[in-house]
Amino acid sequence: MSGLVSKFIFDQSLVIGATRRMTEDDRHLDASGAAPSVTAETLIARIAASRDREAYAQLFCLFAPKVKAFMMRQGMGFQAAEDLAQDTLLTLWRKSELFDPARAAASTWIYTIARNLRIDAARKAARVRDLPEDLWQGNAPKPADDQVIEHQEQASIGRAFDRLPQEQKAILRLSYYEGLSQAEIARAQSIPLGTVKSRMRLAIARLRTHFLET
Amino acid sequence: MQSVHHHPDEDLLWDYHCGAIKPGASLLVRAHIEICPHCQDELKVFEGLGGVFLERMEGVALTETALDLALARIERPAEALPRPVRKQPVFLRGFALPPSVAEAPVTGRYWAAPGVWIAPINTGETDRRVKTYLMFVKAGMIMPEHTHEGQEMTLLLKGGFTDTYGTVETGDFVVRTEADSHSPAIAADEDCLCLVMQTAPIVPKTWLGKILQPFARI
Repeated sequence: MSGLVSKFIFDQSLVIGATRRMTEDDRHLDASGAAPSVTAETLIARIAASRDREAYAQLFCLFAPKVKAFMMRQGMGFQAAEDLAQDTLLTLWRKSELFDPARAAASTWIYTIARNLRIDAARKAARVRDLPEDLWQGNAPKPADDQVIEHQEQASIGRAFDRLPQEQKAILRLSYYEGLSQAEIARAQSIPLGTVKSRMRLAIARLRTHFLET
Repeated sequence: MQSVHHHPDEDLLWDYHCGAIKPGASLLVRAHIEICPHCQDELKVFEGLGGVFLERMEGVALTETALDLALARIERPAEALPRPVRKQPVFLRGFALPPSVAEAPVTGRYWAAPGVWIAPINTGETDRRVKTYLMFVKAGMIMPEHTHEGQEMTLLLKGGFTDTYGTVETGDFVVRTEADSHSPAIAADEDCLCLVMQTAPIVPKTWLGKILQPFARI
C-alpha cells in the first residue's frame, strides 16, 4: 500500500496543518498567495465520477487533519478525533455521488458529515441518524470530471463572517470551535445569557442575508 | 409546504444543529425541517459557517499510517448498512409523512378516547417521563383543557387546531410550557395528525380530562 501512496504527487499547498498557520490576514489566500488549482469540489466530483484514488488521497490530506483538529477542539481525544476524521473521509468516499456542488461547498458537506458522526458517537445507542447528508442533494447536473468548481456562497459567508463585529465573531467561534452551549459561553465571557442569545441572533441574521441572497 | 407559520426558534435549531437536544425533540425538529424550506435555509447558514470554520482550521498532524489506512479502507466493500426496512403500520398508510417520521419506530397504537388514537415512538429516550408519540384526532373534536408540567412540542403533520394562542396548521411547530393552559379545538373539516414530544405528563383541568387521562397515558 505504501508503494501506491508514494506514487501520488501532492500539491503542497493542499497539505494544510503541518507547515503553516492560517491567520486572519492571509485567510483568503493559500501558501503561495494563489488559489489552489484544484478545488475540493472538483476532487469530490472526480471520486464520484471515476472512483479516483489520487483525488481521494489529496482530499484526505487536505481535510482529515482539519476534521481531527476541529474534533479535538470540541473536546475529543487525540485518537477518537483521528478515528472520526478517518470515518468522515470514508463516508465522503462512499457517498461522493450525493454531493452537489451547486448546493454546498465541499467544506460544508464534510463539516456536516463529521458533525453527524460526532452526534452519533455521542449518542452511543443512537438509531436515529440526524441530519442526512443529502439535505444538500439537488438535481443539478453532475459536473464534468475536469471542470473547476468553486462555491461562491461559501466564500461569501466567510467574508460576511469576517465583517461581523468582534463580539459576535467571538460567540460564533466559541460555539463552533469549542462546542460550547450558549449558557457555557455566557459563563465563560461573564455576560448575561440574553446577551449571548441576542448577539448570536444578530450574527446569524446577518450571515443569512449574505448567504442566501448571493 | 406553503403555509408554515410557526417554526422552532433559533436557539432550538442551533441546539439541534449541535446535537444538544434529546432524541424526541430532535425527531420533531428534524421532521419539521424536512417540510419547511425556511428552516432548511436557517440550517444551511449554520452548516455553511461550520464549513468556513472547518476550512480555516489549522490541521493537527495525523498518525504516520493514516493515509495508508484510509486508502486501504476504501478498497473494502461498505458493510451492508443494518438499516432494517421498517414495515409501516397499516394505520399510518395514507398519511403524507416526512421521511424521518415514516422511518420512526412506531410499533402500535391505542385508542385514548373515541376518535383519538396515540402511537408511541421509541426514540431511545431513557427518561420515562419524556414521551414522543403520534396523535390522531378526528375532525371537529375539542381536547379537554390541560396544562403541562414540562414542555410540550407539537408538529402538525395533517390538519390543524385552534387554541388559546392561535391557529396551528399543517407543518407548524409549536411549543407549549407550564404557563400555557389550552384546550385545542381540531379543525372541523379535516382530521388531525400530530407528532408530540412531552417532557412530563399533561395536567388535565377538567373532570372529563381527568377521567380520560388514565386511558390516554400521556
